[in-house]
Amino acid sequence: MRRWFVGFVFGLAAICTLTPTPGLGQTAATTPYTPPRTRDGHPDMQGIWQALSTAAWDLEDHQASLGVPAGHGVVDGGTIPYLPSALARKKENFDKRATLDPVTKCYLPGVPRITYMPHPFQIVQQADKVTILYEYASAVRYIYMNGVPHPRGPIEWWMGDSRGRWEGNTLVVDVVHFNDRTWFDRAGNFHSDALHVVERYTPTSPYHLLYDVTIEDPKVFARPWKMSMPLYRRQERNSELLEYQCHAYLLEQEWNNPASTFFEKR
Amino acid sequence: MRKLRCHVSPLVLALVSMPTVVLVVVLLAPAPAAGQAFWPKETPKLPMARTWIAQKATLPPYTPPRTPDGVPDLQGVWSGAGGDNNSVLEEHEYIDVTTPAQESFVSDPRDGKVPYTPWALAKRKEILAGLARGWPGESGERLFTSPGSFCLNAAPVFSFDAQEIVQKPGAVIMLSDDAYRVIPTDGRPAISQNAKLWFGNSRGRWEGNTLVVEVTSLNGRAWFDSTGQFYSENTRMVERWTRVDANTIDYEVTIEDPTIYTRPWKISFPKRRAGTGPRDAPRGTSVTTALPPATNDPHANELWETACYEGNTESVDSIHAIGFNWFTGVTPPK
Repeated sequence: MRRWFVGFVFGLAAICTLTPTPGLGQTAATTPYTPPRTRDGHPDMQGIWQALSTAAWDLEDHQASLGVPAGHGVVDGGTIPYLPSALARKKENFDKRATLDPVTKCYLPGVPRITYMPHPFQIVQQADKVTILYEYASAVRYIYMNGVPHPRGPIEWWMGDSRGRWEGNTLVVDVVHFNDRTWFDRAGNFHSDALHVVERYTPTSPYHLLYDVTIEDPKVFARPWKMSMPLYRRQERNSELLEYQCHAYLLEQEWNNPASTFFEKR
Repeated sequence: MRKLRCHVSPLVLALVSMPTVVLVVVLLAPAPAAGQAFWPKETPKLPMARTWIAQKATLPPYTPPRTPDGVPDLQGVWSGAGGDNNSVLEEHEYIDVTTPAQESFVSDPRDGKVPYTPWALAKRKEILAGLARGWPGESGERLFTSPGSFCLNAAPVFSFDAQEIVQKPGAVIMLSDDAYRVIPTDGRPAISQNAKLWFGNSRGRWEGNTLVVEVTSLNGRAWFDSTGQFYSENTRMVERWTRVDANTIDYEVTIEDPTIYTRPWKISFPKRRAGTGPRDAPRGTSVTTALPPATNDPHANELWETACYEGNTESVDSIHAIGFNWFTGVTPPK
């Protein structure tokens, strides 16, 4: 409870004191966009969305490497403000990313990484909750919107505990109760179990959401920091979520391979 | 009640390195997973398809309410099949504390048996004999364990479990604690049969009061239960979801596959609206049901992250270490 409460106060402080991000991303409209409403009167952001950034590989500016497209970073200010004590771990993660990245073991990617994995996701809105269905691992995430606070911790979940509210046209989601086993990207950017994430989903056109995220983790970062990217509505006429059952592929590949060290190393 | 996904107890995980065969056999006896019920030996045989077919025949006609879009309203939170869930598909007597006597899920043919071809029946018996669960008739060989042990969800087993149904224009969405289905009802064509999925590809339509869902493109790698009742890449399923009263959905699925079954066959059972099940139904006891209800817990009805993700890491390791094979489906003779 205490950790959550402290995190919550920090989070509020971060929201209140950081300068609101003006016109982030290419999708910010010059005139404010008014989204359609659901039957419950809230902004309707239902449908299938996908990020087109390279954030899943590296949140910061990076050159191309084998299988990794080059990309502009999505971090406000360009650099993640690690505590000096955490930088060595980040470097080690990067050097050993091919084996250490939790995603290579098909663990759930956590929040916000699952949003910018290169797979579509679908938003479903009801009066009491917003549900996000992810193609990746067929993961399902419930964001309770009924005012019930986070459960008392300590709890360590891969995807954390999500509680949402509406601020104007923006869905604001407060996420706590993470484990310390997920990364933000393939480049080894990491966090502790003190991670506190605030996501903001704002429709900027019928086809775009602006995805702003505030990351706070006093054990790893010197100060709260932000990332931002557009999310794109999938336009294909036959668009639907299919499946990426990651661990099924991995298990099948490793199961009958006598040379596999997969099961010893997990 | 949750379906029994994992037949290897957490105790196994700690002890799996111990080499004694006897120990492994003892530990492989299914131990209840979280929320799994214990059933005393004297539990009367649990009802399933046979009882439901008889009960359904006595129900008066019912017209379900409509959604604002004018289709039957199936929305709400619905129970799973109940009993020991899909632990064992066919009728059986008491096996152990998690597997009480229960009627068959199979409503057609009337004998409650899956109508395998001779080739498929031999395959099925081979898998059954190699389950190493400590049941009678086992070969001692460890062939396969239920793919459900790895938390890989699939059709139709997802429908055997509890879920919330949400309807949107052109789609029916089914939500559980660790998976989902989105069933388009907008008339779009199915994906190519060359693409195979654990859940298959679902296409829904409304016929009177019934949601009819055709499921194709199945990858044939999952089982109907934990005892090797299988289907194949050639299998097609047609589900029928019908409200028969305010608090009951009649669930029926027809399974067709001439490469492994001699005829189409059906599974049928009722799904009850959460909290409205028959009060006189036999109940097992679990850690959950043994505790007094938390009256003021605002989180009581929330779905929290389950451990049934990430390949359910510990059970994967132990099942591999014990020597089971990875079930990659069957290859029926041409």
